Amino acid sequence: MCTGSPSSNGSQSEEGSTTEQAPQEQQAETERERPAEQQLRTPTHAVVAAATAEDILAEYGSNLKLLECNSQVAELLTILRDKNTTRSDFKFYADRLIRLVIEESLNQLPYTHCDVETPTGAIYEGLKYRSGNCGVSIIRSGEAMEQGLRDCCRSIRIGKILVESDANTHEARVVYARFPDDIGSRQVLLMYPIMSTGNTVLQAVNVLREHGVPESCIILSNLFCTPMAARTVVNAFPKLKILTSELHPVAPNHFGQKYFDGI
Amino acid sequence: MSSITFLCSKSSHNNNSDVQKGKQASSVFASAPAGLLTIATHQQQHQHQQQQQPQQKSKVKATAAAAKTNGHIDDRSDVTEQLYVDPYADLGNGLPGDLNCCPASPTTVPAKASLESPLKRSGRRQRTTSIGNQTTTANPSECIIRANNRTIYTAGRPPWYNCAGQQVEPFVIGICGGSASGKTTVAEKIIESLDVPWVTLLSMDCFYKILNEKQHEQALINEYNFDHPDAFDIELLLDVLTKLKEGRKVEVPVYNFVTHGRESQTKTMYGANVIIFEGILTFHSPEVLKLLDMKIFVDTDPDIRLARRLKRDISQRGRDLRGVLKQYLNMVKPSYANYIAPTMAHADIIVPRGGENKVAIHLIVQHVHTQLQLRGFKLRETLANSYKDQPMPHSLHLLHPTPQIKGLHTFIRCRNTSRDEFIFYSKRLIRLVIEYALSLFPFKTTTVETPQGVHYEGKRMESRKICGVSILRAGETMEQAVCDVCKDIRIGKILIQTNLKTGEPELYYLRLPKDIKDYKVILMDATVATGAAAMMAIRVLLDHDVPEENIILASLLMAEIGVHSIAYAFPKVKIVTSALDPEINSKFYVIPGIGNFGDRYFGTEPSDEY
Repeated sequence: MCTGSPSSNGSQSEEGSTTEQAPQEQQAETERERPAEQQLRTPTHAVVAAATAEDILAEYGSNLKLLECNSQVAELLTILRDKNTTRSDFKFYADRLIRLVIEESLNQLPYTHCDVETPTGAIYEGLKYRSGNCGVSIIRSGEAMEQGLRDCCRSIRIGKILVESDANTHEARVVYARFPDDIGSRQVLLMYPIMSTGNTVLQAVNVLREHGVPESCIILSNLFCTPMAARTVVNAFPKLKILTSELHPVAPNHFGQKYFDGI
Repeated sequence: MSSITFLCSKSSHNNNSDVQKGKQASSVFASAPAGLLTIATHQQQHQHQQQQQPQQKSKVKATAAAAKTNGHIDDRSDVTEQLYVDPYADLGNGLPGDLNCCPASPTTVPAKASLESPLKRSGRRQRTTSIGNQTTTANPSECIIRANNRTIYTAGRPPWYNCAGQQVEPFVIGICGGSASGKTTVAEKIIESLDVPWVTLLSMDCFYKILNEKQHEQALINEYNFDHPDAFDIELLLDVLTKLKEGRKVEVPVYNFVTHGRESQTKTMYGANVIIFEGILTFHSPEVLKLLDMKIFVDTDPDIRLARRLKRDISQRGRDLRGVLKQYLNMVKPSYANYIAPTMAHADIIVPRGGENKVAIHLIVQHVHTQLQLRGFKLRETLANSYKDQPMPHSLHLLHPTPQIKGLHTFIRCRNTSRDEFIFYSKRLIRLVIEYALSLFPFKTTTVETPQGVHYEGKRMESRKICGVSILRAGETMEQAVCDVCKDIRIGKILIQTNLKTGEPELYYLRLPKDIKDYKVILMDATVATGAAAMMAIRVLLDHDVPEENIILASLLMAEIGVHSIAYAFPKVKIVTSALDPEINSKFYVIPGIGNFGDRYFGTEPSDEY
């Protein structure tokens, strides 16, 4: 399912821009998310993200999928939410959750049936993923998910998008994007871990569409999503597939900072 | 092998002479039978040795000797060609991964090897443990099979439970007889002709009481009666024998005949298919008698016994005629008349002339075989033929068959997949299996404070005490994933291999965290076909007091039959797998299957198989 040949695709220049933009982006990210957070800060008691699969289907359609929330996933979410979690623990458990989300996202890719002969001489009716997929991460928190994707698909191509929001108007705009040339013919795994308003993702998807990627070929991998963001994105792009691990009114906006800066 | 033999015999020689120095004419060996094989060469060696090291009586020497005795024990275990290692025996050394630690006691004991090696045999006179040198005597040609480019050891432990996973009671043979009557020879002959893979030989010598200062001095001047029932710790003996009979692990004391105390180190023994318990007073305690399934009395003419004793004590232990006779007349002979001879009434079989009596041995062996067959020691075939067309048990947790999992299976099942890809994709799959397995542990709800100022209700695992246990070799491939998922997890290992001759699984090596009973255990094996190896591993964990409900068996691929067998035997063990295949073939490979997972992962595929 991975792209055939490992191609760096001008990663040098991307690296450079990443480091330059990082502090700015961090700030932008926080700015952007603030209004939503303020709206929801009021409840001090426990907020439970009680949403059954049926509710989600009814409210957001079949293209929003939640990672199967078993106890193990619930524990990962709890650890990531806990403000007393140490930085090393945070990164460790975040990486585990990312891996699960990525694995689940890959399930959304198209495949064909394929029979293989096993060493015992019997036939196994398996399946085969089409090659020619690619990942796109939204700088910078999306980059946290790149390693998870690499662990699953060793030589997959990864594009990057930098979205900035205006300090005054909170309006998001894309300032940098770099993709494989033939991205229009690929399935795209868009990586962005925290969605609180959905504005960033809207801009990123717009850029992808400008590059000829059909809406239905984009899979958004996400860890934490607010119901508001989910609604925004689903309304704007009904054919986009979204995979997240939790729908919860409060987004853990400390994610990027804790993951990368350890604060 | 020859160098090893030399090492072993050398250490025992030292030891013998040390004993001579330490205590002149103790009657410790009163209970050790002379054996029939006092070969000339081997006497000469001992005499030679005596000349080299003249007798001394100082106490200082005695302690030095004690130290040497320890060393001797260590040497011996180094020598051992034993592939099975006890998990706890070497914890004291703190040497992780050291395969050369104390051997587990129960083993195949082909006596032939010891007959071939008079050097080694001489070491037997100094018996610090019930199994003595016999663990070392596994004949290499018998216990190793070379098939193509694979080396397979067949000296492991075969199943000690039936196809329902329940302990099968071992067959306990008690051998009683006067000092130097040839009990050990009889035991060896039985083991030799029995041809049962797993026999434990327990000697009553291990259960001598710890002597106090005064008794110790008495012993030094031949006045402590080692042939009296009071010299034995019957309570401990009973405890050990009962546990062995229940198939449990026991720590058998190692008696030091120099200090007349117990070594800090003990020998670990397991209940076996057959347990042979021998000693001069094996029939004395009525409680012990109840535990014996077959009672053999070795009745050798008193003159012959005295002759053997004289020969042994004088020529091998450097004692004088007077001392030996004094001890014999004052203690050994009265004890025989008072305590040993009367117990002959309890015997089922009386074997005159000891080990020379081939007819008696043959009869005994036949009876034991019949009894073992009745108890159902034959596992794998039984497993493969039961539970067809049954609904899947509740304890089976199959990963949700997503396209991704199926795709990964397609990669690793394909015979043309390169090893690089095989390893990569199997690792991905393993990770998913382990993540899923973790979710089956108990969780409790908890509320945490978030940096956003709201409380968040989530879950935490009830206990962080989780450990992974892999079934070597294929299970080892899953260890990395467990370590990636659980920080600082402890890993235990169990080596189980299939005996190519019998097709039965055999246990070779075991190393588990010390307090494993307090842990939740993820038991890992890459593939489960009949489930025989997994059942053995579960049985081992249960024997180490891990509660059944705390075990999760995780594997990539299972055959339906294996799942049924395990679920039937251990209904509380949770079974996690990413795929379930319908059949297994005549070589116990899963169909369609992956092939031999370990071989493909480690690159040890034989050129033509299947």
